[in-house]
Amino acid sequence: MLYKVMGRDVFKDFVKSLISNYEFIGPKRKDKAVHDFVPIKDISELDINYKRTTIPPAKKILFPPDEKLVAYEVNEKIKVRPVVESSEKVLFGINAWDINGMNFLDRFFVTDFVDENYLERRKKLIVIGMDSEPTETNFSPSMDSEYAKDGFDLYITELKDRYFIRINTARGDEILKKYSVTENALVKDFKDYNNYMDNYRKKFKLDVNIKDFYDNFELIYDDDEFWEKVAKNCYSCGSCNLACPTCFCFNVKDDIELNLKDGNKTREWDSCMLPEYGLVAGGHNFRPDKENRLKQRYRCKLKTFLDKFGRYACVGCGRCIEVCLAKINIADNINSIKKEVSV
Amino acid sequence: MTLNVKYNNKSNKSSIYVPELARINKIQQISPTEKLFDIVFEDDKNQNNFNFEPGQFVELTVFGLGEAPFSICSNPENKDFFQLCIRDIGNVSGALHRMKEGSKIGIRGPYGNGYFPYEKMRNHNIILIAGGLGLAPLMSLVKYILHHREDYKEVMIIYGAVNPENILFKDDIQYFSSRNDISICVTVDNPDAEWTGEVGVCTKLIPRVDFPVEDTCAVVCGPPVMYKFVIIELEKKNYSSEKVFLSLERRMECGVGKCNHCHIGDKLVCVDGPVFSLWQIKNLKEAI
Ligand SMILES: Cc1cc2nc3c(=O)[nH]c(=O)nc-3n(C[C@H](O)[C@H](O)[C@H](O)COP(=O)(O)OP(=O)(O)OC[C@H]3O[C@@H](n4cnc5c(N)ncnc54)[C@H](O)[C@@H]3O)c2cc1C
Ligand code: SF4
Ligand code: SF4
Repeated sequence: MLYKVMGRDVFKDFVKSLISNYEFIGPKRKDKAVHDFVPIKDISELDINYKRTTIPPAKKILFPPDEKLVAYEVNEKIKVRPVVESSEKVLFGINAWDINGMNFLDRFFVTDFVDENYLERRKKLIVIGMDSEPTETNFSPSMDSEYAKDGFDLYITELKDRYFIRINTARGDEILKKYSVTENALVKDFKDYNNYMDNYRKKFKLDVNIKDFYDNFELIYDDDEFWEKVAKNCYSCGSCNLACPTCFCFNVKDDIELNLKDGNKTREWDSCMLPEYGLVAGGHNFRPDKENRLKQRYRCKLKTFLDKFGRYACVGCGRCIEVCLAKINIADNINSIKKEVSV
Repeated sequence: MTLNVKYNNKSNKSSIYVPELARINKIQQISPTEKLFDIVFEDDKNQNNFNFEPGQFVELTVFGLGEAPFSICSNPENKDFFQLCIRDIGNVSGALHRMKEGSKIGIRGPYGNGYFPYEKMRNHNIILIAGGLGLAPLMSLVKYILHHREDYKEVMIIYGAVNPENILFKDDIQYFSSRNDISICVTVDNPDAEWTGEVGVCTKLIPRVDFPVEDTCAVVCGPPVMYKFVIIELEKKNYSSEKVFLSLERRMECGVGKCNHCHIGDKLVCVDGPVFSLWQIKNLKEAI
């Protein structure tokens, strides 16, 4: 990691040059409450002071809601070819927990088998991170995600009169050299950065008791009464999956075009909260109840990948809490599992 | 980016979702609802490189229609073609049943890092317990064992079918019965007038097996409801949970550990299975 500082006046020009030289994706105000990460053509569209976003930015770009994977021609001879599309992009202003969410997806998509569709996009994505204001439902610090130590090219932190920049890749360093003027960060810059981080961390108000979840979950797992209470109002709508920066489930379907010659395989996001998720031909459903599906979601987020990768699959962004019409709250539920087991 | 990429993708194709072209060479109707398909890759190189382990499966594409996983049921030592036994039950399987010999399909795989551990099973007595279509994945193991018969002790198959007409692999079963180094016991739920064999669920036959605890392995495959009852019977016999192997089915959309539908706890049936030891399964809530 290299550390640099950039003046306030230079910053704006830096962003402008990125916008004119790259396919640039950044936060734009959508309405009063939310921002959306969209292609930006002019700096006036960009609003880095965002709090809530629609679908998590990285997931949308690296793992689009529907994506062609394979194309084929069905003639006398059948020809099959992979579809791996990607172009260089700058993702600007993504915050630390969403970078950590992306880091999780990175690990996931290259484990066991390498998913080229994801990986190609990821390699070409220039990631420039910036902190954003946490929502009231955010519990990233409990999940060790309010700070990103990897997964970006540049991470820019706004101090009072300058920007503190962490440079994580050679690519990031080159971009900075090409489009801006920076100076090496000195003791004073680090001091200010530390103060900033101390204050930033104080903005996160929600704490979850995740530490003992790993074992306690096994005890609570068979407590039907507990899960009936927790999942009682769930509509099985899957919004919690759509909004989650680390959810990755998908379906694959084969289609043929109207010319009856060209076909393709496409993947589409799926959701583990939908009743059909565990359904197999013949009518057997491996997870027929919403209680089962909810606890499976919690297991996946909070336990499974601790076993597999040594990390949680939840970054504590709180999006699933905000989108849930049934007010099902992962943070509350983690805390109540702890309470339930301790009393 | 510090992406630490280690390529395990077997083919050097740039996408794990791309199937290789293959041809259906022969189709046999082996029961009212099941057909047996002989499949050969179009490209000889792919056929020569296609080595699978008993218990592994392939992802089969019917172009323009869909893809589904199927267990390979032929002998792994047969390098000329491989076989799938497919029940006519839905979209992809139905389309396959309507296909003619010579039709082209797509194949990805073989998949499944968890297969029947035939090496560990050497010098053991083997009980194979199958229900219905569950006989298909076990067939590749049986055929492997018969190919290397001297490496194994006693071999016994317990097979349960709904009706006599639903009994799969009848020719193979007849052949097994004619050999004296493998015993097979078939039971049906609903016997007809001609049926002279066993009647009832296959779990009923397990208590009769008298293989010693120390050197016996059991393998199980069948419909979801079967496992619980078979496990109860096997546990009564005190077989080590590390010597009982079960092949599981789940919904799969990719076969390569990405779509997540076959997730059970921290395991994925497609990459960690589909065969698991009873010890692994006991540690996986919802596996059974
Ligand atoms: C490891 C493994 C081995 C297998 N081996 C064999 C075998 O040897 N022989 C055999 O006959 N079968 C086998 N199967 C089952 C086989 O993969 C198929 O599930 C079966 O053939 C039915 O597929 P289909 O496309 O014809 O059915 P479909 O009815 O079209 O369904 C295919 C799958 O997609 C799901 N699905 C389809 N449409 C929807 C929808 N609209 N919404 C939600 N879900 C949907 C179903 O739940 C089902 O799981 C195996 C399965 C696994 C996992
Ligand atoms: S938990 Fe909430 S958002 Fe998720 S499926 Fe249930 S109702 Fe929908
Ligand atoms: S589970 Fe909820 S809080 Fe955790 S990362 Fe997903 S959306 Fe955010």
